[in-house]
Amino acid sequence: MATLEDIAQAVVDGNAKKSKKLAQQLVDEGLPPLDIINQGLMGGMQEVGVQFKANVMFVPDVMAAAEAMAAGVEIVKPLIEAGDIQTLGTVYICTVKGDLHDIGKNLVVMMLEGAGFEVINAGVDVSPEKIVEDVRKYNPDIIGMSALLTTTMLHMKSTIELLQEEGLRDDVKVIIGGAPVSQDFADEIAADGYSPDAVAAADLCKRLVGAAA
Amino acid sequence: MRYRTNLKANTGVKMNVFTESQCQELVFAAEEAMWLTGTEFHDPESLEILRKAGCTIDGIIAHIPPHITERAIQTCQKHIVLCNSRTGERELFLEGGNAYFGSGPCTPFTRNPYTGERHRATRQSVAWATKVLDALPNIDYAMSLGIVQDVSLLVSDRHEFEQMVLNTDKPIITVCNDQYGQEDNIKMAEIIAGGEEELRNHPFICLYAEPISPGVHCIEAAQKMVYGARKGLPTIYTPCIMAGGTAPATLAGVMVQGLCESLSGLVLGQCTKEGSPFIMGGVYTVLDMGSTIFSYGAPELDLMLAGLADVAHYLKIPLFGTAGCTDTCVIDEQAGVEAALSMAMTNMSGANLNHDTGYAEYGTTSNLDLVVIADEVLGMARRLTAGIETTPETLDLKEIEKVGPGGRFEPAEPYEEPDEGTFEPKNIRHDYQARLVDRGAREIWEKAGGKTLTQVANEKVRDIIENHEPEPLEKGLAAKIRECVENAVGHVPGE
Repeated sequence: MATLEDIAQAVVDGNAKKSKKLAQQLVDEGLPPLDIINQGLMGGMQEVGVQFKANVMFVPDVMAAAEAMAAGVEIVKPLIEAGDIQTLGTVYICTVKGDLHDIGKNLVVMMLEGAGFEVINAGVDVSPEKIVEDVRKYNPDIIGMSALLTTTMLHMKSTIELLQEEGLRDDVKVIIGGAPVSQDFADEIAADGYSPDAVAAADLCKRLVGAAA
Repeated sequence: MRYRTNLKANTGVKMNVFTESQCQELVFAAEEAMWLTGTEFHDPESLEILRKAGCTIDGIIAHIPPHITERAIQTCQKHIVLCNSRTGERELFLEGGNAYFGSGPCTPFTRNPYTGERHRATRQSVAWATKVLDALPNIDYAMSLGIVQDVSLLVSDRHEFEQMVLNTDKPIITVCNDQYGQEDNIKMAEIIAGGEEELRNHPFICLYAEPISPGVHCIEAAQKMVYGARKGLPTIYTPCIMAGGTAPATLAGVMVQGLCESLSGLVLGQCTKEGSPFIMGGVYTVLDMGSTIFSYGAPELDLMLAGLADVAHYLKIPLFGTAGCTDTCVIDEQAGVEAALSMAMTNMSGANLNHDTGYAEYGTTSNLDLVVIADEVLGMARRLTAGIETTPETLDLKEIEKVGPGGRFEPAEPYEEPDEGTFEPKNIRHDYQARLVDRGAREIWEKAGGKTLTQVANEKVRDIIENHEPEPLEKGLAAKIRECVENAVGHVPGE
């Protein structure tokens, strides 16, 4: 008989094949689908987060774990009413206008998905106007903006100002990241948070939505 | 009497990572990627230049046929000399195995040498940094060691250039925000050199553009390359790529990806103006899988760049290398280890124009203590590559016979000013005279305050800032430069 611990371990091991197989077994055994996701698969990802911070696991291990989790979710998801799936929240993320650098942002996406957020990755070179339009469309809990250049990081400020003008600022948290960005800069432009790296970004988002980091 | 019939000797020490056949294999693989995969150009003018030259344009992707790449490799100017900004004297010959060293550009942060505080770089921090670079004998050129941020960020590049050119007569590599900044800085350099042609004939500046890996030439990089080629000024085209992030995880795959990006820049420059001087660049390293940083201290960086030096020598194109940098946040033992390994290895590889000395905190924070330490390490590294000369005279049999068993030999001759710190042996009995590292007996070291290398380096940084006087610009020029900076117009990226 398969257990939730087994499937959590399959995620930690980054074994997608096993995770998929165990998910099917657990479903067949009659376990509630939500438990399989929240306690089994997400439980595994939480352990991955702990081990990554402790320098036991590395980026490729996290990626493999995220794939193993996705493989399990794929089996269980059709059995759950759309509204029942609990995510920690929705994060809209992009690299700002005039900037095409996105490796850091993509690492953040990976960490957020692993942590249980729904992520809308809007890509690179995204203007303040487009961000505002997308906020209306997707209604995210958090906007994450990335920039690598001191010239393009200025668009973070103009985006926050535009959100304010459009009356959307109070509905959404704004976080920023990227090499030239700092906590001081975040304070200066009245962002809700700054993160120096992808792991801390996931923790920051958890805090902002009221989930334990 | 000895007869040394064509005795083959090394005049110095040089290392190789690749054989000539391997270099050829890497270049052919890059040509294949340039044609088959292609690279993105986000500048319509560049796409048009490439289309007219015979490249296949698919949307914003340019597929460059191998014969165009091969022609560009042939036609670019390879003999590049950088000059002194005050005298026009020809100083850095970026060719063969000549290895020159200098600082890096564009760190958002710097560490204050007096307070130890880490803060955003300013006009003053760049001025101080340049003074330090100017004073050190093993530092051959200047990059800004900080983005000036106490001015409008859109014109920070003009302020950086002003602070650099006021505080050193050594050649300057200027990294501009965009083509507009580059035009302004070239204009200032032309004023100093005495005109457009004078600057072209005796360039004391070198331009810099950087694609975004993998395979993306943003509008700023492409336009800077095009404008630099039109001006006939040496332009560095240098991808910063990470194994396992923006390039394959195999080191050879990184080499191919990087070469593909650099050579695509070369093709753009040559299709713009055939014969324009080109410097191939690269910071090839790993995406650290624990911290997710772009590592400046990884051994893979040293190894791949030494390999890239082999490829550059094979192509006979000058190489912009990397050395003297560290991932650590303070200048500690880790900084010393990482910086020293990279400088020794880069120097032995014969990469031509090597940057990033003074980078700490994986390239986000500049540190002048590290620059001073690096200067000493470079003296040592240059001693290493100077090798050991074997001639009947240096074998010194006469001296050995004269002194005999149990005798005492004459000491080696230390350097005298003005060569202190550099290593260009003036006679066969010269040793490298260390100035910063401590070799004293315990009592002597304790009497001198029992200081660490970093403490001694910091004292030297302060001494230079307070007492060193760089060669001033000719009268009236500083005011003209000031006027250019004040009139600079910034452009918002993406508009």
